[in-house]
Amino acid sequence: MALADVCGFDMRNGNSRLKLGFGEENYDPSLNDVLLASESFTVPRGVDIAQNLARFTDEKSNVKIHFDHGTTTLAFKFKGGVIVAVDSRATAGPYIASQTVKKVIEINPYLLGTMAGGAADCSFWERVLAQQCRVYELRNKNRISVAAASKLLANIVYDYKGMGLSMGTMIVGWDKKGPGLYYVDSDGERLPGNVFSVGSGSVYAYGVLDSGYKWDLSVEEACELGRRAIFHATYRDAYSGGVVNLYHMRETGWVKVSQTDTAELYYKYRAEKK
Amino acid sequence: MEFMTMPTQQAEKPIQARFSPYDMNGGTVLAIAGEDFAVIASDTRLSQGFSIHSRDTPKTTQMTGNTVIGSCGFHGDVLTLTKVIQTRLKMFSHIHNKDMDTTSIAAMLSTILYYRRFFPYYVYNIVAGLDSEGKGCVFSFDPVGSYERESYRAGGSASSMLQPLLDNQIGMKNQEGAKQVPLSKAKAVALVKDVFTSAAERDIYTGDGIVIHVVSKDGITTETFPLRRD
Amino acid sequence: MECLIGIQGQDFIMLATDSVSARSIVKMKTDHDKMFQLSDKLLMAVSGESGDTVQFSEYIAKNIQLYKMRNGYELSPHAAANFTRRNMADALRSQRPKFVNLLIAGIDEDGPSLYFLDYLASIIKVPFAIHGYGAMFTLSIMDRYYKPGMTKDEAFQLLQRCITEIQKRFLVDQPQFKVRVVSKSGVEDLGFAKPTPQVDS
Repeated sequence: MALADVCGFDMRNGNSRLKLGFGEENYDPSLNDVLLASESFTVPRGVDIAQNLARFTDEKSNVKIHFDHGTTTLAFKFKGGVIVAVDSRATAGPYIASQTVKKVIEINPYLLGTMAGGAADCSFWERVLAQQCRVYELRNKNRISVAAASKLLANIVYDYKGMGLSMGTMIVGWDKKGPGLYYVDSDGERLPGNVFSVGSGSVYAYGVLDSGYKWDLSVEEACELGRRAIFHATYRDAYSGGVVNLYHMRETGWVKVSQTDTAELYYKYRAEKK
Repeated sequence: MEFMTMPTQQAEKPIQARFSPYDMNGGTVLAIAGEDFAVIASDTRLSQGFSIHSRDTPKTTQMTGNTVIGSCGFHGDVLTLTKVIQTRLKMFSHIHNKDMDTTSIAAMLSTILYYRRFFPYYVYNIVAGLDSEGKGCVFSFDPVGSYERESYRAGGSASSMLQPLLDNQIGMKNQEGAKQVPLSKAKAVALVKDVFTSAAERDIYTGDGIVIHVVSKDGITTETFPLRRD
Repeated sequence: MECLIGIQGQDFIMLATDSVSARSIVKMKTDHDKMFQLSDKLLMAVSGESGDTVQFSEYIAKNIQLYKMRNGYELSPHAAANFTRRNMADALRSQRPKFVNLLIAGIDEDGPSLYFLDYLASIIKVPFAIHGYGAMFTLSIMDRYYKPGMTKDEAFQLLQRCITEIQKRFLVDQPQFKVRVVSKSGVEDLGFAKPTPQVDS
C-alpha cells in the first residue's frame, strides 16, 4: 500500500485538481453549503463569470469591489543563481490597501513564486501548488523540478481560463538541472527564460535591469541590480512602492537577502549622484 | 483536456444580464493589536444609499473566547458569512474538543472567501484576537481572501479616513526620531473613540455609536460609545 | 504580430517562425520556439492566443504519438492535419474555442506536404503559406520568386527575402526567425535566420 493510499489520497483524481461547483449531480452551486465551503467553488448560474466580475470595477456601479492587486516583480538568472526582487504595495483601485505585502511566496525551501495581478489568486493557487509539490515529493522521494512545478501551475490556471483569474507569476527554483526560472500567467502561458519582470512597473524595472544585466555579475552586484530596478519602478509607477524584498536562490535553496524601505534607497541613490 | 461534441439543444442557455444580488450597507470596522491584547471596534449604523436602516447594528461578531471578527460591506453577505464561519467553528470544536485559534480562523476565512472567487462575498473582514503565544493579532482581508497579519487596520466605508490617522498615531510613519512606544490598552481604546468620532464628522455611512471589544487573556470586554446620530 | 512561414521545396518543407513572445507592449522573450514536433517527420508551427497555443499543440502531439503506439504505424501528414482540423472544429463549437493558427509540415512516400490551418478550422494544402501580418508584406514575394522544386539553398534565400522585407517594412520588430526543415531524414534545425543587413534608404 502506497503512502498516498494510507493518507487517503484520491488516486482516481490523480492530479487531485480542485472541483468546480457545477457538474456535480443534484448540487445547486448557487446554494452555499457550509460543508462544501472549502471544497468547491461557488459560481453564479447562467451568467458569464468574467463579465459578472467586471461589473464590480465599473464606475457607474454602486457596488464596487476592488480586489487587492500587486505590482512590480522581477527575477533573473546569473552566474551565482537566481535573484528575485519585488515591491510590497497592494492597491485596491486608487487606494493603497497595504505597503507591507509579501509578494514573494515561499513554496518550499527550493521554490519561490512571485505575486503580480490578483493578490488572492496568486496566494491561493501558489498554496495549491505547494500542496501538490509536497504530494509529489512523498510519492517520488525526490524534489519536483522547477519545470514540472511551473507546468503544474500553468495547467491549473489554464483550466480556469476565461473566468477572470488575474495572475502573472515567476516560479523560481533550483533542481538537478541547476537554477530554474519560469514565467506563468493566468492566460495559461508558461515561458522559461533568463530575465523576467511582471506587473505594471515591469517596463521601468526592465529598463534598469536590461541596462545593467550581465551573466557574470557577482552576487553583490546582482542583488544591487535587482534592488535598483525595483526602486526605479516604484519611483515611476504609482501602483508600486513600499519596501524592496530581495531573495537569492542558490544550490542550497533560497535565502532572503534584504528588506529595504524605498525611502531609504531614494536618499542613498540621491547621495551617490552628487 | 477534452473536446466534446454537444448537441445544440443541450447547450447552455444564452448568457443574459441579470440583477445584481449585491448592495452596499456602509459601516466601518477598526482593529488594533497590542502586546498582549487586541482591540476591535465597529460603528453601529446600517444604511443604504441616503436612508439609515438601523442605529444599533454592530458589525462585529464574537467567534471564540479570544477571537472577534469585524465584517462590513453588503449586510446580507455579512450575515451569511458569519453564520458559515460560526458553523465551521462549532464543527471544529465538536471534533477537536477545543476552540480554533485566531491564526487558524484567519486562514480558514481566507479559503472560505476564495471559494467564492467567482461569486464573491461583498464583505471586508478584519479578524482580531490573541495568537497561540498570547500576543495580540489583527488580520485584514480583501473580499476574495487575500490576507495579511498587521498591527492595526481600518476597513469599510471610512477606512481611508481612519487608516492614515492610525499610520500617524500608531505606526509613527514618516516621523523622524519618533519612538515606537508600546501601546497601552487605555491609549488604544481612547484612540479608537477619537478616530471614530472624527470619521462620523465626514462619512455619512459611519455614525450613531461604536462597539469596542478588548480581547485579552482574561476574556473579552465590550463597551459602547455614542457617535453623532445625524 | 506573430508570423509563421512555410515553403515546400523539392523533397522537403522549410518552416520558419518569428521568435518573440509578447505580453501587451512588452517582449518577454526573443528566442521563443513556436514549433512542435508531432512525430519523426511531422512538424507544426503555432501562433495565436497565449496558453491555447501550447495546450492545443501538446494535446495534438501526444495524441499523434498515442496513435502510433496503439496501431504500430503513424498518421500520414494528410491524416494528421485533418485530425488536427477536426479537433479545432469541435473546439470551435464548444464552450471555449481554441484560438490558434497552424502550419503543419510533413513528408511521406508521396513527398512533402504543407497544410495551412486557421483558428476557424479551415484547411488547405499549399506550396507556401504565411500566417499573420507578415503575410501582407511577403505573399507577393512568394508569388514572384517561388518556383516548384526548389533546393534547400533556394528556399532559404526566398525565406531570407521574406524576413528581410518584414523587418524593413513592418512596424513591429522581428529580430530573428527560427528555421527548421522537414525532409526524409527527419527534422533539421537550421538555427535562427536574421534579416539581411541593408543600407538605409
